[in-house]
Amino acid sequence: MKDMRMESRVDSTVNKIEARKVQVYYGATHAIKDVDVDIADRAVTAFIGPSGCGKSTFLRCLNRMNDTIAICRVEGQILLEGEDIYDRRVDPVQLRAKVGMVFQKPNPFPKSIYDNVAYGPRIHGLTRNKAELDQIVEDCLRKAALWNEVKDRLSAPGTGLSGGQQQRLCIARAIATQPEVLLMDEPCSALDPIATAQVEELIDELRHQFSVVIVTHSMQQAARVSQHTAFFHLGHLVEFGETGQIFTNPKDPRTESYITGRIG
Amino acid sequence: MSVAMLLAVIGVLALTGFVLSRQRALASAGGNSRALHSLPNYYGWNGAIWVLVPALAGLSLWLIVQPMVVESRISADLPAALVADDSARALTMADVRRVAGGLDQAVAQGAMSEAKAREMSTGAVDVRAVLANVGVALGSNVSPEVLSAAQDYRAMTAWGAAARTILILVLAVAGLFWGVSRAQQDYRARIAVERVVLGILALASSIAVFTTFGIIWSMASETYDFFTKYPIQDFFFSLTWSPNFRGNSDLGMIPLLWGTLYISAVSLLVAVPIGLFTAIYLAEYASKPVRNWVKPLIEIIAGIPTVVFGIFALVTVGPALRDWFAEPLGLGNSGSSVMTAGIVIGILNVPFISSLSDDIINAVPQSLRDGSYGLGATKSETVRQVILPAALRGIVGAVLMAASRAIGETMIVVMGAGAAAQLSLNPFDALTTMTVKIVGQLTGDTDFASPETLVAFALGMTLFVITLGLNVFALYIVWKYKEQYE
Ligand SMILES: Nc1ncnc2c1ncn2[C@@H]1O[C@H](COP(=O)(O)OP(=O)(O)OP(=O)(O)O)[C@@H](O)[C@H]1O
Ligand SMILES: [Mg+2]
Repeated sequence: MKDMRMESRVDSTVNKIEARKVQVYYGATHAIKDVDVDIADRAVTAFIGPSGCGKSTFLRCLNRMNDTIAICRVEGQILLEGEDIYDRRVDPVQLRAKVGMVFQKPNPFPKSIYDNVAYGPRIHGLTRNKAELDQIVEDCLRKAALWNEVKDRLSAPGTGLSGGQQQRLCIARAIATQPEVLLMDEPCSALDPIATAQVEELIDELRHQFSVVIVTHSMQQAARVSQHTAFFHLGHLVEFGETGQIFTNPKDPRTESYITGRIG
Repeated sequence: MSVAMLLAVIGVLALTGFVLSRQRALASAGGNSRALHSLPNYYGWNGAIWVLVPALAGLSLWLIVQPMVVESRISADLPAALVADDSARALTMADVRRVAGGLDQAVAQGAMSEAKAREMSTGAVDVRAVLANVGVALGSNVSPEVLSAAQDYRAMTAWGAAARTILILVLAVAGLFWGVSRAQQDYRARIAVERVVLGILALASSIAVFTTFGIIWSMASETYDFFTKYPIQDFFFSLTWSPNFRGNSDLGMIPLLWGTLYISAVSLLVAVPIGLFTAIYLAEYASKPVRNWVKPLIEIIAGIPTVVFGIFALVTVGPALRDWFAEPLGLGNSGSSVMTAGIVIGILNVPFISSLSDDIINAVPQSLRDGSYGLGATKSETVRQVILPAALRGIVGAVLMAASRAIGETMIVVMGAGAAAQLSLNPFDALTTMTVKIVGQLTGDTDFASPETLVAFALGMTLFVITLGLNVFALYIVWKYKEQYE
């Protein structure tokens, strides 16, 4: 874990998202208990923890994707730039345009590669003409390190790509909407080491424009790409702090056992 | 021995085969079932199968072939005048069978001795009166030729029954011995039984295929017959349909085809939007309790007999359309109309489209919805741009199925659109369809040699080709869509 980036200074202290006393219930199951987290602007925050501890659940609270699950109930306060996103006046559709999401399993639409990336810009009317849209599609595919592989077959179906290519397509699709926050749920779990490195590079680049939240099962990945790390265990936020500190000097014994591989 | 008796004997022999084979296999392994290649019951089944399959196959073959042989031999002996053509032959043979059956009955009731039934002649006995006494009424006096043919018929049938019994018993017993002799420790009974199961399943599925071919074949031959009696170009291109049972009819199918397509199109215009919107509402918008109530209620429609829909068309929809639309708009004063039938058939098809599409929309992976919502799309954007394209294939299938049903619908058309074959664009005019005319031409006094009756087969064949074309078109769409999205 002697990675250069791990030592890099955290260059931002402005909070993009502040979560306070968040509780999530699935019916009678209490999945998230009393979680307080600050997501810094223009930085990468990693969520780590054993399977089933509630990382995805909490991530989905941040753009109200949990609204699509009938039995799910969220309590507490989540502020995006000081505004409560669970306020009744907030439109979840607009919120999700600001807080984009990349899912654990690649889920390209059954449309062409071009249409997949253009989906967000089209529904949000981000472009005025075809040339601008072409430009956005190209930029986003380049950022997602996919352009060279697909530039000759933009009209081929997105579902015809390999798993790793599909995931990068989904990333391109998410950043094409120009969100302010990008939530990524294990974005590399379907990728080979080379594609993983490319996505990590992309995340590092994205951090200059967005704030990024990434769920990962790889300690190395968390250490490489993130500035802040949150460790979840059984629905509790056990420890939250700067990535360097969490990995070199954890305060809670549970964190230490997890990162050294004793629980999980 | 009667067939029922024979079946009972075969059943007993099969049971014997089961028990003996099982015991013999077990004995060959010294009573240790684990030393056998297959489970003991497989040896039993194998033994039973060896009795059942040859005996039953032989029996059914015999039952099919014997009447054919007997009839052809009898009719060959009859004087040429009585079997001049197909219909005369059929009439004479029906008489022969009836007299033979009457004689059987007379013997069974003791009104006549077996010997007398065999020997008697029309000169000595009034056969008609004798048979009337035992409850078999004949339309005319029995001619000597028919009586002797009936006596021959009885003799041959009796001989056939005896030969059948002997042959089948021999087959069953031989099967029993063969099956039991194979029940040895390392005989692979399990695999043999598996093969028979495969054979039975394949036979079952081939029955459907053969039936289809049989239907096509009989339709095609009658259709060919029709075209030898009526010019083919008049059938396909003449614009008038006016059958006339004294001959000289105009049998142009264009007005009927027009009626069929017009009414089907109206019905699809009703059924597709309502059905599809219902499905989208149920699958994407409705809460669980609403869905649990509404879905079964809609599906009740599918269980209503079409004749009830016909009544609804006749007494409710037809008059309402006439009074509120047709008359005020000056479009006629007919209660039976294209609109009436089209709308009611459309309603009939709503549950078809909605419940099929609902299942298909539900089968679209949740991850696609999540992906779209995660990009800030609204529900209707997600439905239009992601879910419907992903479900398109199944929806096209559902729509084409509804189209086939609309094209084939008869009862509602009779009651809702009338029976007037005409070419009219006015949706409030009475029109009729091919199916209605098929029924019309085949009911009442029919003469299977006249084009007026045979035209029903040509119409049926045309309908079949249209639905086939529809299915091919559906496959083409599916294939194209597949190419685009997979
Ligand atoms: N849709 C749901 N309905 C009911 N319970 C759920 C649902 N989704 C998650 N849960 C429960 O919530 C808890 C947290 O699940 P979550 O998916 O957030 O875990 P996770 O940390 O993302 O795990 P993993 O690393 O395996 O993805 C689990 O106990 C899970 O069973
Ligand atoms: Mg998860």
